[in-house]
Amino acid sequence: MLSILLLIPFAGVLLLALWPGRPAEGRMRTVTLLVLGLQMAWSLVVLARFDPGNSAMQLQESFPWVDILGLEYKLGVDGLSLPLVLINGALTLVAGICTRDIDKRPRIYFALLLVISGAVNGAFLAENLLLFFLFYELELIPLWCLIAVWGGVNRAYASTKFLIFTAASGMLILGAFLGLALYTGTVDFSLTPVTSERLAMGSQLVLLGALLIGFGIKVPLFPFHNWLPDAHTQASTPVSVLLAGVLLKLGTYGLLRFCMGLFPEAWALLAPGLAIWAAVSVLFGSLAAIAQTDMKRMVAFSSVGHMGYILLAAAAVTPVSILGAVFQMVSHGLISALLFLLVGIVYRKTGTRDLTVLHGLLNPERGLPFTGTLMIVGVMASAGMPGMAGFISEFMVFRGSISAYPVATLLSMVGSGLTAVYFLLLVNRAFFGRLAVTPLIDPVAHGRLDVNLAAVAPRETIPAMALAVAVFAIGLLPYGLGKLSEAATTAMVQLPALAAALQTGGLG
Amino acid sequence: MPIIPADLVHSGGMPSAAELEAKLLGGETLLANTPDHLIEVVDVLNSYGEVLDAYSTNLIFQAERQLLLPFPLFKYLDGDNSPAKIWRHLNHDRINFEYAEYCMKAMLWHGTGGLDAYLDSEPFAASCAAIISKKTRRDPLLALLHPLFPSFLIELIRAAATTHALGQFWRVMSDLFLDLARAEADGQMDSIDAVVEFLKAGLVAAAANPITYGVEVAGEHLWVLPPEAGLTFLVDVAVPYVEAVFLRGMPFLGTVSFNAQAHQISPDQAQFAYGALYADPLPTMGSGIPPSLLMQDMYRHLPERLHSWYLQRTRGEGDVRVKICMSFQKSMFCVTNAAIRGTFPHPLGSTDPQARSANRAYAAAWASRLAVARTDCLAVKPPVA
Repeated sequence: MLSILLLIPFAGVLLLALWPGRPAEGRMRTVTLLVLGLQMAWSLVVLARFDPGNSAMQLQESFPWVDILGLEYKLGVDGLSLPLVLINGALTLVAGICTRDIDKRPRIYFALLLVISGAVNGAFLAENLLLFFLFYELELIPLWCLIAVWGGVNRAYASTKFLIFTAASGMLILGAFLGLALYTGTVDFSLTPVTSERLAMGSQLVLLGALLIGFGIKVPLFPFHNWLPDAHTQASTPVSVLLAGVLLKLGTYGLLRFCMGLFPEAWALLAPGLAIWAAVSVLFGSLAAIAQTDMKRMVAFSSVGHMGYILLAAAAVTPVSILGAVFQMVSHGLISALLFLLVGIVYRKTGTRDLTVLHGLLNPERGLPFTGTLMIVGVMASAGMPGMAGFISEFMVFRGSISAYPVATLLSMVGSGLTAVYFLLLVNRAFFGRLAVTPLIDPVAHGRLDVNLAAVAPRETIPAMALAVAVFAIGLLPYGLGKLSEAATTAMVQLPALAAALQTGGLG
Repeated sequence: MPIIPADLVHSGGMPSAAELEAKLLGGETLLANTPDHLIEVVDVLNSYGEVLDAYSTNLIFQAERQLLLPFPLFKYLDGDNSPAKIWRHLNHDRINFEYAEYCMKAMLWHGTGGLDAYLDSEPFAASCAAIISKKTRRDPLLALLHPLFPSFLIELIRAAATTHALGQFWRVMSDLFLDLARAEADGQMDSIDAVVEFLKAGLVAAAANPITYGVEVAGEHLWVLPPEAGLTFLVDVAVPYVEAVFLRGMPFLGTVSFNAQAHQISPDQAQFAYGALYADPLPTMGSGIPPSLLMQDMYRHLPERLHSWYLQRTRGEGDVRVKICMSFQKSMFCVTNAAIRGTFPHPLGSTDPQARSANRAYAAAWASRLAVARTDCLAVKPPVA
């Protein structure tokens, strides 16, 4: 059942690779969309077969692969990974739909898109550390290619930076996994929590530290965020959608599944520091976003801030906070994808994302009024307006964390307020006022004030509309997602080792 | 000049005051003579003529039949209060008469010319007193209001007089614009210069038309603007209208939002430059704003030829009101051109140095005002079509 979620995208890759002749971009796109549609449909089948009341791994499949290395092909899904698998299915489909005008090598472009989707599915479903790592690394090179080949003007710089950072992330994660085998003297790479009886606390801290930095780069958390704004700025819109909506979640998933799940005692020990780290990351991301004049960099820095909430929730380790972390992963995936889609439309129509140049795009006649309306919906959701996905997730994170770490939570709330500041700056500068795509210092000297922007066709906004509907749906009816994940997230908090460590102040 | 210049939203490409002056003195048209411009001007004036017909009928109805009505709920229905008409009105299947009232208020507020002077005269005060006396006898609300606010009803009568005068002015202009469209359709007009000449001839022919206004109160006919006042079409209504609506206007929301408290607006009302010739065709963050209302009305009567022309450009139907506004501005420059041509102090071909000097001063005065208007649309190929 779960292997089909890997089989569909990789079979799609084969299909594209073996397609005879030199097929047109449109045909490749159609095939890719069909494959991604099938993958999404199968994800829904998995959802239908999933038992939300059961906190354990379900629908498991396994066979030994390379015994001597401890590599076992073992897949399973629980309330933590299923929402992310669904998000991956939905956002890869959105990325495929909004891909346009691939002027070079469309076959490879779409094949890479499918590889990423399959690898992400694999990473979320893997029950073996090495298998997770294989899939984690598998999405790295395709993403690098998507930025390096189909990216913007400075794509070489951005893609290299991305490669260096994420390769370091991969090495640290692999190092931690191998270190675990070395310290424990076994090649058991299953998801069994490591206790003090098996491994000394010092060793646990070293391994957890490596994992934290490794996943911290991927999330990204301050100060390992440096690659993200450049990667987003140079990536095309569909790649940004995938990067923000899905790939960053590999990092947060890793924090919850591996950092907290494998080293519960060390996690409990480091948790107060992690909460402070989360608050710093939230505030840094928000303040840096305020200073941006490129719309895409602003949204990218907002991701740095909003990912900090997940670390805060994970540090608090309460049932509500961990459930809030799942909500935040899903809602951030939808909201950031929505925002990047809309920034992409603005860029395609105006040729710029510069907030000192764009004005009045909400103009009803000659601007991008519907895009602007959806942008306002997106920024409201991101700022945590009640009734939308951002509110319910942030509320749960803060509600679940404030009793454990009041100061860090309050500082993170300030970050939430700052979200409204920078996104209102964005909307005010780019969408309100008189329509213009020029600096307003001296319009005659600096460029044309009256512009003829091409109208946005309804089909261009359909993916964004669908995401906006999903944002409202989760905000108004959070029960479905909550029911899906609650059993698993509660069980994570109630892990005997973790519960014991928390009760004794984290010293095990 | 306003503190924030009117050319804030220009895209450049405007002719200088000297160029405009030279064109006016040389008998050239301000708007470049192109086949596209001819289609735009003639067809938009055709549509405007239809709209002005409706405005004129309604303004005259309001002034004659709704005078001093405390609650003029049906003032836009032209006396037809049938359920079908009320439903069409509520369903907004109607002309936006609010725009006509807006123009009337602009005229009343800026108050220039002979009409305004008459509205402050003794004979007008006497007329008002007679009307108010008769009205208050039959209407207890008016009888209560008048002693409390003695200038209120008089001001309402001033507004009604301006309303009626504007209705009469637009009656003439509506017929003129529709005649122009018919003449062009008959093949009698093939250039912008011919359009300007036609308009000039129409304005000159109507120049001396008397402007009068009387009402029936309790079965008795009372004059508000009597024939003895000597008010005429061109000097007392047309020129103040051009001054108030084409040139000065009001810094309303919808073109560019000006903030009087931040001293962004000139304290001298005479220096205002927010009129139709300066207006930004792009509606900015507002619906239902006056220029948009007029464009909606003209859209209802758009000739098929101009409609197809719009569909082939920019966003087609999507930004049609902006395009109508741009064409409308071009046509209003033609009307202004005709008015200037028809009111030169001396014939343009005069060889008398004094006459030439007077003409030059007249042209220079106009050119300086028009230099900051949206004259970028006058070129053969405007910066943005």
